[in-house]
Amino acid sequence: MSGRLPGRESAPEPSHRPLEFKLLLAGVGGQGVVFATRLLAGTAAGMGLPVLASETHGMSQRGGSVLAHLKVGGTAAPLIRRGTADALLAFDRDEALRNLPFLRAGAAAYINTPDSLPVEVAQALRSRSIEVHCLPATQVAMELGSSTVSNVVLIGFAAVHPSFTFPLENLRETLSRYGRGLNLRALAAGAEEGFRAAGSLLPASKRASGA
Amino acid sequence: MSVELLLGNEAIALGLVEGGCRVATAYPGTPSSEILAGVVKYKNQLGRSVYAEWSTNEKVAFEVALAASWTGLRAAVAMKQVGLNVASDPLFSSAYTGVVGGFLVIPADDPGPHSSQTEQDSRLVALSAKVPVFDPSSPEEARLMVERAFALSEELGTPVMLRPTTRLCHALQSIPVAEDGGPDRPARQTRFHKDPVHWTATPKLRQRLHGELNEKLQRAEQAFEASDLNFVLNAESKTRVGVIASGVAYHTAEQALLELGVELPVLKIGTPYPLPRKLVQAFMNDLEVVVVLEEPDACIELQIPDRRRVRGRLDGLVPGAGELSPEAVCAVLAQALSQAGIQVQTPPDDPALLALIASLELPARRPRLCPGCSHRSAFFALKREFGPRAIYPGDIGCYTLGTNLRAVDTFVDMGAAVSMADGLYQAGRLVGENRPIIASIGDSTFLHAGIPPLINAVHTGSRFVLVILDNHTTAMTGFQPTAAAEVLADGSAAKRAVSIPDLVRACGVGFVQVTDPYDQQSFREVLRRAYAHTQAAEGGVAVVIADRPCVLYDPSPIQRDPIPVVVTNECDGCRYCLEAFECPALVLSPDGSRVDVDRTLCIECGQCIDACYKGFILPEAMVYQDAPA
Repeated sequence: MSGRLPGRESAPEPSHRPLEFKLLLAGVGGQGVVFATRLLAGTAAGMGLPVLASETHGMSQRGGSVLAHLKVGGTAAPLIRRGTADALLAFDRDEALRNLPFLRAGAAAYINTPDSLPVEVAQALRSRSIEVHCLPATQVAMELGSSTVSNVVLIGFAAVHPSFTFPLENLRETLSRYGRGLNLRALAAGAEEGFRAAGSLLPASKRASGA
Repeated sequence: MSVELLLGNEAIALGLVEGGCRVATAYPGTPSSEILAGVVKYKNQLGRSVYAEWSTNEKVAFEVALAASWTGLRAAVAMKQVGLNVASDPLFSSAYTGVVGGFLVIPADDPGPHSSQTEQDSRLVALSAKVPVFDPSSPEEARLMVERAFALSEELGTPVMLRPTTRLCHALQSIPVAEDGGPDRPARQTRFHKDPVHWTATPKLRQRLHGELNEKLQRAEQAFEASDLNFVLNAESKTRVGVIASGVAYHTAEQALLELGVELPVLKIGTPYPLPRKLVQAFMNDLEVVVVLEEPDACIELQIPDRRRVRGRLDGLVPGAGELSPEAVCAVLAQALSQAGIQVQTPPDDPALLALIASLELPARRPRLCPGCSHRSAFFALKREFGPRAIYPGDIGCYTLGTNLRAVDTFVDMGAAVSMADGLYQAGRLVGENRPIIASIGDSTFLHAGIPPLINAVHTGSRFVLVILDNHTTAMTGFQPTAAAEVLADGSAAKRAVSIPDLVRACGVGFVQVTDPYDQQSFREVLRRAYAHTQAAEGGVAVVIADRPCVLYDPSPIQRDPIPVVVTNECDGCRYCLEAFECPALVLSPDGSRVDVDRTLCIECGQCIDACYKGFILPEAMVYQDAPA
């Protein structure tokens, strides 16, 4: 599958990635936030990293806002404090905006949206060196045949970034245990979009890694 | 050994099965529901002989498990914290009688609250009932504590509480697990021995048992003084400010101290009741101020004898309501430190960014009934039939969300829809008011606590319509079978599915009709006749059973017969359907001029056709038939 990716053979080596990582997953009930959390937590555990994730169950699953906290390494505190998260994975634009205050300076947000963020928000994030990566993941997923895999598309998209703790290869391994080809295609399609976007933004990302 | 990802509730379940628990019972309730499901999973995985049941309510669950303990088997009962209220009668009594086999009471508390009607602290119930408590801080520790709690329960012959909270129950943690679960543990005794002094103790004997119980608590406290579940983090710190923390708040404090960059001594309490007071006093001796962090209320704090140096909920330093979030803990610690003259850089919230996000006025996303939910159809019919003048007592379950549709006016606790309807009728009758009273309750909740109030209402001659929303499962908590289901907790066939209509008739209700709320016309017709029964001279309570499976639990009826709909071009965007029907799949177009169907959410139930009184929502098939060739 990686052979299809333009310009690169595979994701960067796992060892280059942070071993302590605080990630928020935000979405709406029904968007597969819990599945995404379990995919990432399972991947971290498979990499031999200690992981603790906080899920939402019950009433708020019925169409309400859903927020999951995922921590690799660190203490066994289940929640991430505002201003300290390394990344935000948002399956919905409004939920992304709502949860931006969780990010620390220099963090990254991966957002499922066909639009960009409001100008003043984008400016505020830039001034805090927070990277924003938007992808119409639902659209990508629907082209694959089902909007339900938009969560995995977004994860594939995020995983090509070296600051994202979970490498594509390991995510692929976790997903193949679930045995659904569609999820693997979704991961690859998201990654392809990620590489494409990263390619077009190469000067910026070089600047970021040099800082 | 392998590392597995376990939910806190699964870690507890694994601890139970590994620890030789033979009988596990529960009534589902968030955040506790995965405990019993986990017991079933691990007993199968490890090939252990365990009887697991979803009981009809928590009191039943408690007593079934207690009886097993009296025969000598290890047993456990799980519930959410308000379920402990239902089971509090046997809890208090069994503390006096004592137990034989290790007996664990596992109520899951819900600081927040996220999915509950209260933020009550089960540890305070245990304090009142005189039952020792273990308070785990992580899934891994919870699993470990199960064995410790079983051992203490058997050693003292008393029920023991293991009290997790939401953030632990629903935390997923990587935990090392032995594939075979370790050696199976034989029960210490497997036979019920008659023991009238304990098992049938009369009031006179109960006083003696009370004395025995007090002695057991003293022994528990002694055991806790020496327990490695209570320990000091940063013991070498010379700071004059310290922290006493238990449960999840311990790890939140640990993280906050790292973030604040200060090393305070932290006494981690794993056994908050009875509090190991000598240990606590020794810890406090060298300190000027001690901040107590625990959830959801003050249990440790209340038991500290010398309170002059204690800061916590009782003096208002720690917020009296809501979860101890990382933000709250950081703020509390920073404030206590600053008052002690130690300045820390509070890693601050970013006020400018928070204000900017607030200025966007993002729509609050409240929970809503799922697309295709039969409760929505039932509520929509109720409202159109009885209007805003009627009073709609509701109950606990997914259908509590009927309040969004203004078809639920009250909810108090399990079963209260029926007794509140009864009380509203009696109160109205006194003052000569005769408003329609239309109560709703789910199938599982009806079986849990709806039957005694129904008997009461029949006997006293109350007049109201009770709609039993029978979706064939306990939907809110993850589809646990009710007593009306064909299956048991482990998936085996039930001996007999209890018939809800038969039960209602047996309560003496004169009007009982089973009908499908998806058929709006005939459902409303049945509601009209039910109401007429409540008004007839010889009438009384009328029960309508709205019979339609939960669409998540059993989507097959809709899959067999899908009804795709279209919103026609005539739609004028009046929003009636959005507000009165509130299906997540009906959305306002971006320019607000009309309503569209969100095809990613729509399950093609066709129920919204009735939601547009102007007739602009139509079955797709009809539109295409009518279109000119």
